[in-house]
Formats: sequence, structure tokens, C-alpha cells
Amino acid sequence: MSGAFSIDQVADLLYREAWLLDQQRWKEWLDLFAPDCRFWVPAWNQDHELVDDPDTGLSFIYYESRGGLEDRVWRAKSGTSVASTPLPRTCHQVTNIRCEEEASGRLRVRSAWNCHIFDLRAKEQHTFFGHYTHLLAADGEKLRIAEKKIVLQNDLITGFIDFYCV
Amino acid sequence: MDALARLRGLIIDDPQGKDFRVHRDVFRDPDVFDWEMRHIFEATWVFLGLESQVPSAHDYMTTFIGRHPVVVSRDDKGELHCFINSCRHRGALVCHRAFGNRKYHVCQYHGWAYDSSGRNVHLKDREQAGYPPSFDKEDHDLVKVRKFAGYRGFLFASLAADVPSLEEHLGEARWFLDLIADQGEEGVECVPGRIVFRYRANWKMQLENAVDPYHFTSTHASYIQVLERRQKSAAADVPTSIYTNIRNAGIRRGSFAFARGHAAMWGDTPSPQARALFPSYESLVARHGEVRARWMFHTRNLSLFPNMQIAENASLQLRVMRPLSAGATEMAIWCIGPKGEAAEARRQRIRQYEDFFNPSGLATPDDVANYEDCQSGLAAWSIAWQQGHVRGFEASVAGADRFADEIGLQPERSLIGPVELGDETAFHPAYREWLRLIEAGLREDESRAHVAARGAT
Repeated sequence: MSGAFSIDQVADLLYREAWLLDQQRWKEWLDLFAPDCRFWVPAWNQDHELVDDPDTGLSFIYYESRGGLEDRVWRAKSGTSVASTPLPRTCHQVTNIRCEEEASGRLRVRSAWNCHIFDLRAKEQHTFFGHYTHLLAADGEKLRIAEKKIVLQNDLITGFIDFYCV
Repeated sequence: MDALARLRGLIIDDPQGKDFRVHRDVFRDPDVFDWEMRHIFEATWVFLGLESQVPSAHDYMTTFIGRHPVVVSRDDKGELHCFINSCRHRGALVCHRAFGNRKYHVCQYHGWAYDSSGRNVHLKDREQAGYPPSFDKEDHDLVKVRKFAGYRGFLFASLAADVPSLEEHLGEARWFLDLIADQGEEGVECVPGRIVFRYRANWKMQLENAVDPYHFTSTHASYIQVLERRQKSAAADVPTSIYTNIRNAGIRRGSFAFARGHAAMWGDTPSPQARALFPSYESLVARHGEVRARWMFHTRNLSLFPNMQIAENASLQLRVMRPLSAGATEMAIWCIGPKGEAAEARRQRIRQYEDFFNPSGLATPDDVANYEDCQSGLAAWSIAWQQGHVRGFEASVAGADRFADEIGLQPERSLIGPVELGDETAFHPAYREWLRLIEAGLREDESRAHVAARGAT
């Protein structure tokens, strides 16, 4: 691993993110992201072709700042969203982490993920899975998420999805 | 109890007595679901997709008519065909993808091959087959649906032949399709990105919801609150919404009931300047006149019985419903927009769509959670009837109101009121058509059974 950060530190950030999501410690989860972060869950266009431009094709979620995620965190905790009350229990797993340093010094981190979801409303469970690409940038001593792209491989959505199930 | 008598006990439609009731078995009984498949989805016009989804020779898309998998395919001459997606030999699917381009559809099992019009063009090892002459007398082409037609680029089909023309079926509801198609000089298109979700509840929850103004402030409370938060924080990057300022707008909601199950809900737009179409207003006036352009800026939800809805409010959405069982439904949803739309307007349309309509949006998940909660509660089999389907009854008038007159529309009924009126009379046409079609189907079953019984004696 080049630069100031080890692969262990990178992995630790991804594991911590998963942990914070599952613990519903979403304010801390937001703090992992840079204020001008890009958060992108593209839709599929064809069987094996993702939408590659969020401005000409659909995404499940697309933001160019943390503001949209802050809205979602607020809504999920508001008690006025039917879909978020009660919130499901989730378990994120992140693995197959590979990391490369870009010319800019930022780290491009690819991984595989799955999220087990126990829907307390329906008393049913389902799993979403796919791949993450994180772009991490140094912020002083720490790494912050400048960009997160989430590819959802099983996009036949059961009910609905939100930031806490991908 | 015999089927017809049971059916008649499921809807009370009594205009004189000012009563309209829907029995809960309509949403939960597997026998009712079977009636719906046979006598509605497989017996009337259903929506398939947009012509612009299969633009080139040999393009195809697959979908369903009731339980029948079907293919819409464009042949080498540019003509569209709709056939059942089932090889004539052993029944295997001949098309496996949602969308594709294929000159020939070759069954992977024994190699029977069909061209893009569905014609059988090759039967593997036919010369050596030893088929008797009777085999050669059979038609080996893929089975065409009986009726297949388009209106302004919207494609519909019917498995039954005894249906009126598509134009007659759509009737006055066509005006609302025109208002979509006319937004682009060359019509409308689906934005790339195919999103499908399933919910654990009856398809008619969605059928009702599309023309239900009553649920908005309670079901979508969190969405409205998010919009208010955004106004306070003035964050630059979050999507704008036509619903900004909805609490103070004093808006009206109207509805039109049409023949053959269709209905539309319309209303004022609290913040029309947030519409992706807003920069095009002047050119829309020039092309279509002030009245039609103004109506393009009203919120409008159109429900075409049984399986298609267009919602133009937070963005512009096309929905195709596919009932899977009494308690499960699949929704294929599309963001649509005018062809050739300016890049910035298209971007805005997409962001607004994602914000509200996606199964990952800030509004649709709350609808879906409510449908599922309803289905769970409907397990209480001892409770027979839903309540409140007469909401709006006293405000509803026969024929056209002044708004229908303004646009030359002749609906069966019209209604206008403040948004809080929360009209539910717009659900009635669908249940009337539901009853009419199932009743006709069950009568036919009955007369066929009589003929068979006579033949047997």
C-alpha cells in the first residue's frame, strides 16, 4: 500500500461504515463522507449494462453532495415515514477489498457487499448484494469518502430500498 | 354458492341509494384473482409498452398479458407484432431478455426458429422427421395475440378478439394520453434505466392509489417535511419539487370518471416553475394553445384500466402493473420525457423522478408500505367490507363540469373541490368495469358448461 494509509486502514473504514449503518448510527455514518461527496446507486439499463451517466439515465439514488443523504437520514428517523417505521434490522458484510492509488493521491477501493434485511413490518427477510467502489481522500489524519458507487446486482426490488439496505 | 352470485356480492354500486362498497374478498381471495386473470387481464385491452422502446428493425421487448408471456417485436419492414413467448413445440420461451434485438428467435431446446414477425422459418431436421401429413397442416408460427394496436405510440393488446377498437376502449381518456404525447414534437420516450419492484399486496391497491388525493398528506408526510427542511437549509444540490409550498397553496383537486374503467385525477401545481417542462411553456402554447399548455402544467394522474398509469406531478412516470397473485404485484416503472429534451431539463426530470417515484425514493416506499399493511390487515377475514368509497359522492356530478367543458371532454362524471376533499369516487369506474368484465366471463363459462353438459347426456 502506498501513501500514508495501509490496506488495513482502508478495510477498517469500510467495516466501520457497515457497522455504523447496521447500528443506525447514521450521523456518524454521514461524518465518514465529505460534504461534496458523490453517492450513486445506478439503475440497470440492460441485463449486463448499467446506466453510465446519471444525467441521461436513471439511478436508484444519486447525489452530488451529502445533503441528499442527510435528508434521508432525517426521514428514516422522523417517525413520519411509513416505510421507515419500524426500521428493518440489517447486517452489511463487506469483502474482496482491493485498493489502488490514483494519480491524485486518492484511493479507489473496490469491494463486494451484501446486506441481509429483516423486515420487522412483514416479518420477512431478503438480501441485496453487489459491488462497491469507494473513492477515499485524506482529510488530515483520516480518510473520508469522496465518492461511493453502489452496484446492486439483484435489482428486482422487494418492496423498497433505502441507504440503509445497500 | 355459484360464482356469479358470489361475484355480485362483492361490489355494491347503488347511485340512487348513494352507496358504493367494495368487499374485502376482492383483494384477498385466490378465486377472485383467477377470475381477474381470465376475465380481465386475458380478456380486454392491456398496456404493453411504448413504441419508442422498440425503435429499430428486429428490436423486441418481452412482457406479460395476464399469465401469458408475450413478445413485442419489430420485423425487417418496421412492422410491429405481438406474439406469445412460447415455442409451438414444447412451449419453451423463445425470448429471454426484457429488451433485445434479434432477427431470428431460435428455441434453444430443439432448434425451431422464428423470424422477427413470429413466423416459423425453420424446423430442425424436418426432412428426416417422418411427420404424417396432419403435422404439415398445422400452423407452426408463434401464436399472435388476437388484437394489437397503438395509440400515439402507446401499445396495447388483447388476447380476446371480441373487444372494441383500441380508440373506442380508451374513449375520452385518450385526451390525457394526447397531453403526454404532445409534450415533445416527436412524442415521448423512456429514460434509460429499467426499474422493477414487487410488493406483497393486491394490484388494486396501486389501482386505487393513482387517483387517490386523500392519502397524500398522511402517507407522504415525511416527504413534505423533507421539502420544508430543504427550503430552510437552502442546500444547493437537492432536487426542486412541484410540491414545495403545498401546505399554503390552497390547491384544488378534480377527477373525471370515464367509461371502461378509466379515470383521471388532476389539480393545481403548487410550484409549476419546478417542472422540467417549465422552460418549454411558451413553445407549448405556440404548438398547442394556451388551454392545453396550461393543462400540461396541472398535475395529472391517469389510470387506464386495468394495468397502466401515468402520473405527471413530481416528475413524469409510466407504471405497468402485473398482478402475481391476490397478495403480490410486480410494478415496472419508467421515467418518461419528451424526445429531444434539453440536457438540463432532462437532468432535472430524472432527479425529481428519483426523489419521489423510485422504490428508493422518498415517497413511493411509503405507498408500498401502506399497501402491504393493508394486505396484512385484510387477513381479518371476518370483516367483510371496506369503508369510505363514497367519499366525494356529494361533490360528484354527472357528465362534464366547467373544467371538462374547457377542454371539450365528455367524462361520465366530474368532480372538483379543495385537495382536502380527498375524492374516492374516481375509483368507481375501475370497480364497475371489473364487475362488468368478470360477470361477462363467468356467464360465458356458465353457458359453455351448459353446452358441455347437454353434449354429455
